[in-house]
Amino acid sequence: MAPNPSPVGGVLEPLPPAMEALERLRTAAPPYYLTPSPDLARLAREASTHLFSSLLPFCTNPLPLDRLLADESFDAEQIWHQIEVQSRPLLPVLRRDLRRFEKMAPEELLGVKVPQEDGRGGKEEKDLEAEDMEDPGEEEEILEDEQAEGGERNVRRGGGASDSLLEGNESDYSEDGRDDEDKDEDEDEDEDEDEDEDEDEYLIEHEYDPQGDGRENEDPDSGLFAKYDDFFGDKNKKSSQPGDKKKKWRSSNKLEQSDEEKESPGDTDIDDRQADDAELDSQDDETLSTFERQSRKLKSEIEQMEKENLAPKTWAMLGEVSAAKRPKNSALEVDLDFEHNRGPPPIITEESTDIIEDIILKRIREGHFDDVQRAPSLPSKAPKELKELDDNKSKKGLAEIYEEEYAQTTGLASAPLSSSDELKKEAGALFKRLCLKLDALSHFHFAPKPVIEDLSIQANIPALAMEEVAPLAISDAAMLAPEEIFSGKGDVKEEAELTQADRKRRRAKKKRKFKAEEAQKTAKKARGNKNLDRPNVSGLGNHALYVDEERSLFRLDW
Amino acid sequence: MEVTSDRQSSAAPTSMELDSSAGAGVDKLPPKPEFAALSAQEMDGKVEFRRIPVPPHRYSPLKKNWMEMYTPVYEQMKIDIRMNLKARKIELKTRRDTPEVGNLQKCADFVHAFMLGFDVADAVALLRLDDLYVESFEIQDVKTLRGEHEKRAIGRLSGKGGKTKFTIENCTRTRIVIADRKIHILGSFVNIKVARDSLCSLILGSPAGKVYSKLRSVTARLAERC
Repeated sequence: MAPNPSPVGGVLEPLPPAMEALERLRTAAPPYYLTPSPDLARLAREASTHLFSSLLPFCTNPLPLDRLLADESFDAEQIWHQIEVQSRPLLPVLRRDLRRFEKMAPEELLGVKVPQEDGRGGKEEKDLEAEDMEDPGEEEEILEDEQAEGGERNVRRGGGASDSLLEGNESDYSEDGRDDEDKDEDEDEDEDEDEDEDEDEYLIEHEYDPQGDGRENEDPDSGLFAKYDDFFGDKNKKSSQPGDKKKKWRSSNKLEQSDEEKESPGDTDIDDRQADDAELDSQDDETLSTFERQSRKLKSEIEQMEKENLAPKTWAMLGEVSAAKRPKNSALEVDLDFEHNRGPPPIITEESTDIIEDIILKRIREGHFDDVQRAPSLPSKAPKELKELDDNKSKKGLAEIYEEEYAQTTGLASAPLSSSDELKKEAGALFKRLCLKLDALSHFHFAPKPVIEDLSIQANIPALAMEEVAPLAISDAAMLAPEEIFSGKGDVKEEAELTQADRKRRRAKKKRKFKAEEAQKTAKKARGNKNLDRPNVSGLGNHALYVDEERSLFRLDW
Repeated sequence: MEVTSDRQSSAAPTSMELDSSAGAGVDKLPPKPEFAALSAQEMDGKVEFRRIPVPPHRYSPLKKNWMEMYTPVYEQMKIDIRMNLKARKIELKTRRDTPEVGNLQKCADFVHAFMLGFDVADAVALLRLDDLYVESFEIQDVKTLRGEHEKRAIGRLSGKGGKTKFTIENCTRTRIVIADRKIHILGSFVNIKVARDSLCSLILGSPAGKVYSKLRSVTARLAERC
């Protein structure tokens, strides 16, 4: 009926449903586990309760619980914790026993006495042991599954994972609505999904282990599928013990060894260490407080950092590193920081070239270039008269030249003009004419001539002959002398200055004059217009310069 | 006063009478005789003679410029001059009224300068000024040049169209005659020196521009000094 070959009588009554539950769990297709199903959950609870109670007699230390509380009200974490509390100290014992059994021949196995509280018979013992073989096998299988999973998880976590880490991970992996078994096997699948391919391979190998042949795989001697405890049995150990670190180191070494030589069996060291680890684990399992866990975590971090410090530094931290000292192309991966003394080079785009060309064209159009122009030197003094070398045949004979020279030195003749060049003469003449005109303009308003030091050969003639003191031109605005302008007699008074008597006198004079004129006019008219005698003319051409009675000159234009 | 004057007046005739013989020696000396310079004739009385040969290449120029030569020599220098056609020589002779002895030498120099190749107008300066000389030297005195180099040196001396030579002449107030290998310079002593220096530097190979610049500076200095 059930795959259990020889169920024990006393335990048989609750067994069939529990075993059935187990069986059903086992045979359930994996996809069922993906979705939370209450049916499977119920089955799992039953099975776990049964397993718990069946393992209870094997526990050497008294447990706080006598049965698994796996009702609907309890969630996965609580159930799991209860199982853990039982299985933790139990596992090493079972493992030891298993090893012992393996070594023994199959005939001997039957005679092994199973330690039971009830004190059953040999047959029962046999059965028991067979059952126990199975049960522990299954239990072991399941538990070792759990442990393996934990171990796997921790193996994947890397070497030196702490106990608290392990526990934390295990708690993290619990999910609401899932039971232990579900959780375990779901965790398998979660791990499949979440973790690396290596892990997947490992898991797949592990999962496809149908009947508890996992034992072969879990053979610690093979070293192929080593578990956490194989390397780090110091889950609950306190780090204050110095031996722990050694063991941890050893276990980390072990891990590396096992990783490298997966298929090399027969590591006897692992056995010893496992035994030691198991002992230590069993001590510190229940005495962990949060503070202890935290401190353990901190210490693991410290250890990690110290390990990093002791290890040889990366090439980037070594200071001056040549190409030989660092791996190939490693400089490409690192973000190197250079001090760039120049700014970034200008990016030449079409826009920039257009801008430049526009500037150039504009400048060309305007004719505004940036040529360097020589600064004009101010003529502070007259340019030195360079004697020009005349390369024509001299027209004068030598005698004449000497004659002239002699005459100059004795002073009989005037000095000849120096630098007698035709062009110069012409230029001189032109300039003279211009100067004449300008002087004529400027002599209306006299301005003194600016003094320029002239280093020219001076002619030895009196200065008066050179300079002319009188102005060349004067305006005839003031040509007439005042008395020529006005020749009046006596005291000339203005209008405002006249007194009353003066005014009267003037008026009387005027009247007399007017009367005289009138008389003349009438006389003239009487005489007739034939004689057009001119009045007294002073004989100055056509402009009549009429001399008045008062002897004032004024012009009359006919 | 009167006494003295009387005495003087009285003494004068007496002194005059007394000292007539002696006073002539003490008071009234005869004026020193002033002798005019001796003319050539009076000096020795001999007639001095110079003969200057005429090279064949100066024959026709001499014919052209004979009157120009003859006039100052005969009229101002008062030296007889004639051309001995047969001997191809110009003969110079002092006259009785030749004023100075040195005139003959001057005329001889003048004729000689003409024979060397100078113009009459230039050579006449010798007659008029005392301190003009003629210096002659050869190219090989400066540097021995052979063949092409010599020709090139002569070319360098003259310059293109003679302009280098004229430049030197104008700057230094000399006259230069380059006759194949011989070079004659006519001028005052200092000017001859300057001209000679520039000609020598040209012979030795310096370019004309360099010579000009040197000339300029030297003549400027000379002019300043004078």
